[in-house]
Amino acid sequence: MELKKSITPKKNLSISNKFSMSYGKSEKLAGIAFVLPIAVLLIIFMFYPMIQAFIISFQDFNLISQKKTFIGFDNYINLFKDKEFIASLKHSFYFAMVVVPVQGIISLGLALLLQKKSRINSFFRTIYFIPVVISTAVAATVFELIYSKDFGLLNAILEALHLPTVNFLSNPDTAMNGVIILGIWKAAGFFMIIFLAGLNNIPADLYEAAHVDGAGKIRQFFSITLPLLKRTIAFVAIITTIDAIKLSALVYVLTGGGPSGSTETTVVYIFRTAFEQMSMGYASAAAFILFAIVLIISLIQMKLFKSDVEY
Amino acid sequence: MKAKRTFLIIILFLVAGMAGCSPSMNQNDNHSSKGIKSEEENQSPEVVKLTFWRNAGNSAENRVYEQLIAGFQKENPTIKVEMAAIPFREYELKLRTELAAGDNPPDVMTIDSPNLAAYANAGVIRSIDAYMKIQGGIDDIPETVLSGMKYNNEIYLAPISESSTAMFYNKNLFKEKGIPFPSEDPDNPWTWEQVLEAAQKLNDPANGIYGIDPGKGFGEGEGPAYFKMPLLWQFGAEILSPDGTTADGYLNSPKALEALQFYQDLYHKYKVAAVELPPDPFVSGKLGISIEGSWALGHYTNNFPNFKLGEDYGIAPLPKNEQQAAPNGGWALGISAKTVHPEEAWQFIKYLISYEGIKKYVSATGDLPARYSVAEDFPELNEYPKNIFLVQSQKYSINRPATPVYTVVSTTIRELFEEVGIAKVDVKVAADRAVRKIDQAIQQMEEKQ
Repeated sequence: MELKKSITPKKNLSISNKFSMSYGKSEKLAGIAFVLPIAVLLIIFMFYPMIQAFIISFQDFNLISQKKTFIGFDNYINLFKDKEFIASLKHSFYFAMVVVPVQGIISLGLALLLQKKSRINSFFRTIYFIPVVISTAVAATVFELIYSKDFGLLNAILEALHLPTVNFLSNPDTAMNGVIILGIWKAAGFFMIIFLAGLNNIPADLYEAAHVDGAGKIRQFFSITLPLLKRTIAFVAIITTIDAIKLSALVYVLTGGGPSGSTETTVVYIFRTAFEQMSMGYASAAAFILFAIVLIISLIQMKLFKSDVEY
Repeated sequence: MKAKRTFLIIILFLVAGMAGCSPSMNQNDNHSSKGIKSEEENQSPEVVKLTFWRNAGNSAENRVYEQLIAGFQKENPTIKVEMAAIPFREYELKLRTELAAGDNPPDVMTIDSPNLAAYANAGVIRSIDAYMKIQGGIDDIPETVLSGMKYNNEIYLAPISESSTAMFYNKNLFKEKGIPFPSEDPDNPWTWEQVLEAAQKLNDPANGIYGIDPGKGFGEGEGPAYFKMPLLWQFGAEILSPDGTTADGYLNSPKALEALQFYQDLYHKYKVAAVELPPDPFVSGKLGISIEGSWALGHYTNNFPNFKLGEDYGIAPLPKNEQQAAPNGGWALGISAKTVHPEEAWQFIKYLISYEGIKKYVSATGDLPARYSVAEDFPELNEYPKNIFLVQSQKYSINRPATPVYTVVSTTIRELFEEVGIAKVDVKVAADRAVRKIDQAIQQMEEKQ
């Protein structure tokens, strides 16, 4: 407004001042109007249920009977003693610890390969992106067939190569790896696109300068690409970690948490406890423990990846 | 100006949206006014609307339910039944959330009989004891079936059909290996020893042929409990104490451990059973012996017409060890505790479980009827192979334990058999762990009351 005042000729000052006042006001109102719909939806569908769930987590709450009794921290204390819950956390973390680095490296590799614009590259970009579009249920069902011991594609190939066959999904020791492979296959394409966007944001003259200075491709990658990609990497790392710890749908369709509970992730455990065992209070407490864990990890990651390079 | 107008429009939408939301937001205090409201609704056309939820079955089942409802509405023009057939996998989940949210639970619903105790204990379904005793014709219903409909000695559910399982065997494979066929007499089953002997001869893993699937593999949901509890019973073990207060000394009794050890040996010692099987292994000749449900008969006739009963496969009663034992139970009908039309809901149930209703139902689906009188009217039910299912269900069937913590019992049984069968955990360790889990759930429930 200061700026406008100085520009406007003296004669029109009073009018323009009035105009700019009401303009500013309506701007503000419009701003609120734009924020309001999503804010209202968030409050109704996110924050209100979260507060409710938080209250429920301190109650002994059976899903179908309306009896609720306040039991303080009992749910939380029992959860830390619950072997199944701890095991489910372990499964979720194992998944996250393998998927986050492996998937990150694969999608960055794909992005580097397909960075140059050409017809073949855009063809392959589409190919690698297709798994992202395929519905989880469909992908899981197809993978179940591929993994099958007696007639699956995977074992047919292993057999042709005279390698020992594996029954991936029905062996408690390997089932989680079967889920991991599917998970990476399904999500790598999406993060490849994110990395591509990040790569294209790096100014080309930096590479030219490095080239002039005699830096090779590898040196360029470590000295220019990686540091300048830090923000993208942070984004990808945080999102994949959260996604990995929240893993549920893939497991639910592919193994149902089996065999013998070896792929039961925390979210599957929470779902089971709430809707099969009907212990809503206990399940809500488990959900909040998971929420706290995810929050802490994300905060740490944000701090670690804090980028000090601007370009 | 333009901004102002947009703002107004947005506000308008918001208000409209809020108005749409508001009835659902103060529905908490709606229960009291609900009766009045629905009476108002009904005054003009004088038609009572009943909502009826059931788990969607196969096409034959869905069709016959529609016919039954049409027949009922013809006889009772003042009652209109609105049926919702919900896919099996999400049925219980949807029903439970609806009962929990408490807005509009269905007036009439189907409930899987072992889950009855949980629902009755929570007070979400209504006792129909008085109705059943006076108008239900319960003398005609087998005692084993009726006891599955009771909680605390009161009848809560009305049965329409029953189920059972039997030992299916591949005749071609039996002939190839020169194994004599088991008897078709429902009272004269093979022992598990005989079954194991046959399975060992049938077993040919190099060609992908396995001897036996003792309990329908390792599935999800209620299936594992339904197919695997009978093995424990056949070895003379029980799941819970008769008063339902503990599993200690029952699920980990020497007899139970013997059953579990036998089950584990099938997979790991004799290797005649496989953890992973191709789809429809029995039909494709990859499996010599399989325990299948009574509904498998219709499934095979409809989907595998070239796989013929009598030529390609035969059916024998479930194997025994110490005693004969078979599972039972099925989806039965219950009335919501919150319904404002209990009288009409009962009229509807009475029609479904009447002699005619059940007759129409089982002649369409091929299920076992829950009434003696209907069973007598179907000659094929008294002949091989269906007599095996019928006799087992009427004479040898055992109810899954009726306890409010049944959901925990069911999951624990599933996990127990997975640990023993797949993960090769020592049977004593696994059984003790299962007992602890069940007892803990019982204890928590008792503390609440």
